[in-house]
Amino acid sequence: MLEWLEGCGEAFYRAFLESDRYLAYLRGFRTSMVLSLFAVLLGVGIGVILALIKYMGNHMRKGIILRALNWIANIYIAVIRGTPVYVQLLIIYFIIFGKLDASPMVAGVLCFGINSSAYVAEIIRAGIEAVDAGQMEAGRSLGLSWGQTMASIILPQAVKNILPALGNEFITLIKETAIVGTIAVLDVTKAAQNVAAITYDLLPPLLITAAMYLIVVIILTKLLGMFERRLAQSDRR
Amino acid sequence: MIDVKGLCKSFGDNHVLVDIDEHIEKGEKVVIVGPSGSGKSTFLRCLNLLERPTAGTITFEGRDITSAKTKEVNQIRQKMGMVFQHFNLFNHLTIMDNITLAPVKLKLMSKEEACQKAMELLHRVGLADKAAAYPAQLSGGQKQRIAIVRSLAMNPDVMLFDEPTSALDPEMVGEVLDLMKQLADSGMTMVVVTHEMGFAREVGSRVLFMADGHILEQNTPEEFFTHPKNDRLKDFLSKVL
Repeated sequence: MLEWLEGCGEAFYRAFLESDRYLAYLRGFRTSMVLSLFAVLLGVGIGVILALIKYMGNHMRKGIILRALNWIANIYIAVIRGTPVYVQLLIIYFIIFGKLDASPMVAGVLCFGINSSAYVAEIIRAGIEAVDAGQMEAGRSLGLSWGQTMASIILPQAVKNILPALGNEFITLIKETAIVGTIAVLDVTKAAQNVAAITYDLLPPLLITAAMYLIVVIILTKLLGMFERRLAQSDRR
Repeated sequence: MIDVKGLCKSFGDNHVLVDIDEHIEKGEKVVIVGPSGSGKSTFLRCLNLLERPTAGTITFEGRDITSAKTKEVNQIRQKMGMVFQHFNLFNHLTIMDNITLAPVKLKLMSKEEACQKAMELLHRVGLADKAAAYPAQLSGGQKQRIAIVRSLAMNPDVMLFDEPTSALDPEMVGEVLDLMKQLADSGMTMVVVTHEMGFAREVGSRVLFMADGHILEQNTPEEFFTHPKNDRLKDFLSKVL
């Protein structure tokens, strides 16, 4: 028993501390976080636009332009949600970026951002739709324009519906980026594999990596909960 | 002030309003009653174009609003206050912000002027102490009074009420009706859809009876309630009075 524990300690020492290998994990971890952050920003950016197009498509008198945009948005969302992110990553990096001399990191951000945007669009659209229709009517009845009512009345209330799901989407995204090593981005998972290639021992690096993801997810979940409670202030009686 | 000609509204095959002609003078208090599904709310909502009429014209203060551009419609709505059955206060804003949001956003008043006006109105309805509260902290009757104040802050020329007391607990109906009476006494032009026959009789300068998308009868309150002519109206009054 004692021998086994000693063996474990030795294995983790070699996987983490020997030759300052923890630096490789930390660099990879930073890459994972930066990638996720930019991807989620891109995802929210595109997602908001898609959500507004779909919301307008459902609730306004449709002109030809709106109808076309709505159609494009629906196809975009169907295709992105209907195909594996791994396949999307390969297509973007090897086919679309294949001829260009772009960094794999940019391809990664683009891929995960685009992928996330389809999910984010549905989250935001649902969040907007969940705001009582009377709020829009009240805003319009006061003489505010559609855009003004959307910006100062509907969206601030929709945020409360959107935020928990959006936080979950961010958390999912962080975990999904673990496949980005495929296109030679040195994220934390790839770093672990590299360490294992040197030490010939796969388990300790993978456990270390898993722990890093887990810690981030737990912290984010806590932060999200705090933020939600702040937002719920006006609901309190 | 409001002139309605040949107003029709259909949802698919459902003809909610059929060829309605109506004229509302400045200072009038028009009360619309009728069974549910008769089109009275739809009629009211057509007046400020929350519903788009299928046919017909509505003229407000000399302007044809049915053919107006969106921007003009927004301007026209500033002059037509509306009070909803379910209050529709902005739940994420304090009472003060609920009242001042539109005047400030639309650059009709500075923030200070709007706040001053809001406090003045809040004092008038006895809710000045609620300025910093959120709608969720108010009772139904208080919410509806705030909703009325919110509309009044825009200095409207006419106020539209869509069943303002229907969603209230019985003990709160009185406070809202009292405020509406005050408003009527101050000379405000009002169009009120309601089931409160007492209010119609006491405050109304004219009462309309709607059923199946038509205005079947209209008269002064005394005549309307004591000598109804239309059979549908007689039947309706026998049930509600």
